[in-house]
Amino acid sequence: MNLERVSNEEKLQLCRKYYLGGFLALPFLWLVNVVWFFRAAFLAPPFGEQPRIKSYVLRSALGAALWGLGLGVWVGLFQSRRGQWGALGDALSFTQPMGEP
Amino acid sequence: MSEESEESVPLLPLQQESMASALFNTDQNDNSERRRHDNSERRRNDNAESETNGQPQNNIQQVVEQDEEEDEELTLKYGAKHVIMLFVPVTLCMVVVVATIKSVSFYTRKDGQLIYTPFTEDTETVGQRALNSILNAAIMISVIIVMTILLVVLYKYRCYKVIHGWLIISSLLLLFFFSFIYLGEVFKTYNVAMDYITVALMIWNFGVVGMICIHWKGPLRLQQAYLIMISALMALVFIKYLPEWTAWLILAVISVYDLIAVLCPKGPLRMLVETAQERNETLFPALIYSSTMIWLVNMAEEDPEAQRKSKNSAFDKQAPASRTQNEDAEADDGGFSQEWQQQRDNRIGPIESTPESRAAVQALPSNSQTSEDPEERGVKLGLGDFIFYSVLVGKASATASGDWNTTLACFVAILISSLISPYVFVFCFFSYPQGLCLTLLLLAIFKKALPALPISITFGLVFYFATDNLVQPFMDQLAFHQFYI
Repeated sequence: MNLERVSNEEKLQLCRKYYLGGFLALPFLWLVNVVWFFRAAFLAPPFGEQPRIKSYVLRSALGAALWGLGLGVWVGLFQSRRGQWGALGDALSFTQPMGEP
Repeated sequence: MSEESEESVPLLPLQQESMASALFNTDQNDNSERRRHDNSERRRNDNAESETNGQPQNNIQQVVEQDEEEDEELTLKYGAKHVIMLFVPVTLCMVVVVATIKSVSFYTRKDGQLIYTPFTEDTETVGQRALNSILNAAIMISVIIVMTILLVVLYKYRCYKVIHGWLIISSLLLLFFFSFIYLGEVFKTYNVAMDYITVALMIWNFGVVGMICIHWKGPLRLQQAYLIMISALMALVFIKYLPEWTAWLILAVISVYDLIAVLCPKGPLRMLVETAQERNETLFPALIYSSTMIWLVNMAEEDPEAQRKSKNSAFDKQAPASRTQNEDAEADDGGFSQEWQQQRDNRIGPIESTPESRAAVQALPSNSQTSEDPEERGVKLGLGDFIFYSVLVGKASATASGDWNTTLACFVAILISSLISPYVFVFCFFSYPQGLCLTLLLLAIFKKALPALPISITFGLVFYFATDNLVQPFMDQLAFHQFYI
């Protein structure tokens, strides 16, 4: 859908829904929210709903960043320490590489 | 006037045409369309009073004919532009499929067959194999036909909930299950360790955002990307689970069926399209790739008022050719205005130019005052076409002795033949095991769906077999004898 053809009120509602949806462990949704509404929130000339959209976008960005950080830490930990964890490491593994570690 | 100079330019080569049309100013468009419309009105009037006028009428006729030629030229330009707009997604889908086939061995390993193709191809004699593959193809095609008819019946009797549920389940399956398998295989191929937690998170995100984008509202590019991805996934499943001869046979038969189903008056797809047109509804937005924004309308909502007032618009080919005098909006028709209107009138009879009588589509002509982006004219393509093209190219890359040569030949064949077959707009249906249903694309010039599978698939198949059996041995011999050309 093209944001330009949508009323400001609808934009706000859409942004808000995406923001709320992201709380269901959906950082990707937050990321999409940020990218999609970035222009409307920051680059467009001011309009009525813009401050609220801006706040949603900022909060989504914060949430996505936090999740990204958490995920990065976890993946780093897992990849480097998987061998040491023994049975737990194996239980957690979805795929196990072959060959020498 | 600038618009006159536009129209007097001779037919440009294709690339220039698309560039020129991209640069086409909307005002010019609107004006020229209005002018063409006026010309056609005049033409009709002239024909009505043919007895009375002598000389002057001939002049008018000549002018009108010249305008017609220029109309056709513009029509060609826009048609070509739209075809090109579809090249990119089809190419992307094929690239994804071929890349996966080449790198992930899972999809070329024989791990059994679908229940729809129960006969094996590992038989002792060639004759047995041929028979088995014919039987397999027959079963598969009949499954597809049954699904299609079922869908048409459901649609006719307004069982929208069932169809909607069917679609949702299918896309759920594709987005979650198949992508889970795909991800797992990719990790295995690259020997990467991955834990369940990360995988679960990734698949969950991918799937949910995909469902939102496809079935609800989301950024257009993301929606297109998702549609391409699920088409690729589907094509990979087909490539894996269909044995060779069966696959080629199925491709051939499906193109024939496509032709029949779309063009015959009693063909299921045609009936579906016409029913949708009568009811002024959109058709399964979830399974149609649109190269521009689409306005997602819940199928159950039939609200011509909302349609009229809404600013969301999908400018696609069959943007209803509303009479210009009734709306200040121009029919945003991708340049097909005149031909369309007249042919449509000839076939269906003059249509009330009320908003309610719009053809089944989300299109809403915009106000001529608002700046129309010419790129917003869109074209729709059924996902089934993506899938079958990708199956063709993927199978070629998987099994051909010529490898890249053959793959490339098929790819080129499909694209070029898509260009040649007039205003390729894929009207295709696709039905797949869990009952994913039709993919339709309403099309083009004649306000009719046109099948594009047949021509492209035919060319693709021809090129595949030709290249595999003729060109590649030739190249091998040349290399063997150290003879380079």
